[in-house]
Amino acid sequence: MLLLVGLVAIVQIVVFALVARANQRNAVAHIEENLQTGARLFRQALKERIDYLSGSAALMSGDYAIKPLLMREPDRPTLRSILLSYTERVKAPVIGLFAADGESLALTEESLAGSQVGPFRTLIEQAAASDREQASGYAYLGESLHILVVVPLYAPFPNVVAWFGLAYPIDTAFARAIKDLTLLEVTFTSDPEEKEPRVLSTTLDPAEAAIVARHRVVTPSPSGRSRVIELAHEPYVSLFDPLPLLNGKPARIALQRSLSAELAPARELERVVLGISIAALLIASLAAGWLARGVSQPLQTLAAHTEHIATGDYTRHLHLDRRDELGQLATAFNHMTTGLAERDRVRTLLGKVVSPEIATQLLKSDLALGGEEREVTILFCDLRNFTGLSEGLSPTALLELLNRYLDRMSAIVERHGGVIDKYIGDAIMALFGAPVPSVDSASQAVATAREMARALERLNRELIAEGSPTLAFGIGINTARVVAGNMGSKSRLNYTVIGDGVNLASRLQSLTRDPSYRTPIIFSEATLRAMPHPPPTRELGTVTVKGKLNAVKIYAIAEPPSAVPL
Amino acid sequence: MRSLSFFAGCILGLAAPLTSVAASLSVTVKGTKGEPVPDAVVSLVPLDAPPTPPFVSPPVPGEIVQEKQEFASYVTVVQAGARVVFPNRDSVQHHVYSLSKAKKFELPLYNPGQAKSIVFDVSGSVTLGCNIHDWMVAYLVVVPTPYYAKTVAGGTATVSAPAGRYRLELQHPRLTAPIVSEIALGSEDIAREFSIALKPDRRIRRGPDGKAAGYR
Repeated sequence: MLLLVGLVAIVQIVVFALVARANQRNAVAHIEENLQTGARLFRQALKERIDYLSGSAALMSGDYAIKPLLMREPDRPTLRSILLSYTERVKAPVIGLFAADGESLALTEESLAGSQVGPFRTLIEQAAASDREQASGYAYLGESLHILVVVPLYAPFPNVVAWFGLAYPIDTAFARAIKDLTLLEVTFTSDPEEKEPRVLSTTLDPAEAAIVARHRVVTPSPSGRSRVIELAHEPYVSLFDPLPLLNGKPARIALQRSLSAELAPARELERVVLGISIAALLIASLAAGWLARGVSQPLQTLAAHTEHIATGDYTRHLHLDRRDELGQLATAFNHMTTGLAERDRVRTLLGKVVSPEIATQLLKSDLALGGEEREVTILFCDLRNFTGLSEGLSPTALLELLNRYLDRMSAIVERHGGVIDKYIGDAIMALFGAPVPSVDSASQAVATAREMARALERLNRELIAEGSPTLAFGIGINTARVVAGNMGSKSRLNYTVIGDGVNLASRLQSLTRDPSYRTPIIFSEATLRAMPHPPPTRELGTVTVKGKLNAVKIYAIAEPPSAVPL
Repeated sequence: MRSLSFFAGCILGLAAPLTSVAASLSVTVKGTKGEPVPDAVVSLVPLDAPPTPPFVSPPVPGEIVQEKQEFASYVTVVQAGARVVFPNRDSVQHHVYSLSKAKKFELPLYNPGQAKSIVFDVSGSVTLGCNIHDWMVAYLVVVPTPYYAKTVAGGTATVSAPAGRYRLELQHPRLTAPIVSEIALGSEDIAREFSIALKPDRRIRRGPDGKAAGYR
């Protein structure tokens, strides 16, 4: 769940960052466009002003009184007075009249006489050489920046007899007019290479304008010609253009637009996006929590329950009070648990009815009839005179005694790797070497028999102490090749062994009744030969077995067995 | 006897000019593309001093008419010392002026039907304009010789002068500077061809009813 929340958070952050960056880039690109447009508009505005001045000068040169005045010797005061009159008509504060060779005839600004007239002379030279016979440029007149225009006085056209020079100041009013037109901040500054670049006119605050004046454009910026500079802690996208001057190093015009102002609507959008992101994050967290409670917890309960089942505890049941898929899963789980418990019981039961090894073998063999030939040692153990014994006891007590005896003997058989094939009343038929193969089935069987004898002695001692009658048995052991497998019908079968060897073992067991053998345990030659380290034995002789050609040697264990009451 | 020789001398004296040899110079003026150039002024200024024979006649007077708010002729040639009349045969007043070095003058507004005249003593080109009509322009070329001619539409002109050495001057309002060369006239006719480069013609073309202006 944390992963989910984390993922959502990451996605939101990434989206937010991308949006913010895109906004920034967009705004800068947009402003750049505006700046370029602004620069174009500025040039156009200047061009219009120049055209206007030229037009005015043309009108002035057509003025009725001008030519007669020029016919006479230059009357400078009168000429100047006429020019002053024109300044009002034309709204150009500086007007000068120059002879065809460029010599100054009259100027409205007396202070401009002398070297300050230089720019006009330069323009006159340019104009005379050009087709249009007109020229304009920027120049300092005094300390201020002006735009200058020279226009010929035709008398008549196309005869140039004199030149009008007009100058228009690039002042704050002009900057404001440009700002109104372009919606950009406009600042005119002197040559940036100067030690103390001056602000010539600006729409900004004086302090901010000073920063603009001092700004050095060192390297070109990656995105076109504009760059971002900071004024009063606000970023301004700025375009710097040089203004070549007729007299002096080029001045500079800076067109600027506040990035924050441009970004304002985008910032608004970003705030909304941020709000949405946070809300989404909260919702995701809540959803994650709800999922945790709703899904993870039940799943964890289920997992824990499964662990219990794995250990074999089928008694517990899962309780999930839900109607959805998890509830269905819990129900199914409980059914499964019941089924497993059932199967387990059956398995145990089977293991109890037949020995566990046979049970396994039965299950493995898929309950098909048939068997296989194997060398197996068969042990038969039968109680002597059990029926006689039963007369003195109640049925319940008899069964109890029998079970007690069988319980002990069976344990011994199993301890030696044998398998109880079946109980035939009070008799035990045990197999060594089937169904689980054994290399030493004979030794196992004989060892089993000896221990059974010792166990019987112990049991008898207990019985005597209890005042119950004692027991006696006889054991016959034979090793032979027999067929081991499932015998019976398809609906009812039994895992056992058949063969002559089995019958012989049974026969040997009944021979123990013969007191002349003086042994409760009789085993065949085959068994003896099958033992790698046989105990000391006593040959008992031979017996003929019904149906067999050769007589079989039989043996008993050499140590004197405990007295067998007859 | 004395009256007869006097008479004969007079007749001889009178006939002298008639018997002196006069030749004509035909001039063809072409532009850079070979096009004929009208309104070019050709003048022959005698170099032999004193001029023989001397200028007999007084300079021929000139006339520059204003009509239909234009000067009737673009280029007019007169000899220095000639009197030029400026009759207003228009329906409006005119104010003829010139600021040229050769003659600065003005004839302030005068009415149709009136005529003013001025004597032009100094040689040179006088650019004439009208103070109230910016498009009106004409040239008066004042030459120090009676031997002059103006090329016609075909670009040709013919000047007749007695034999002798002359300075041949070719002028045109759009020619930057006069083309000057020396020529000796004998008894035969001479032809000269000139190929000249003119400045572009920038005369204001009057639009119909002054519709030339507009937002440009």
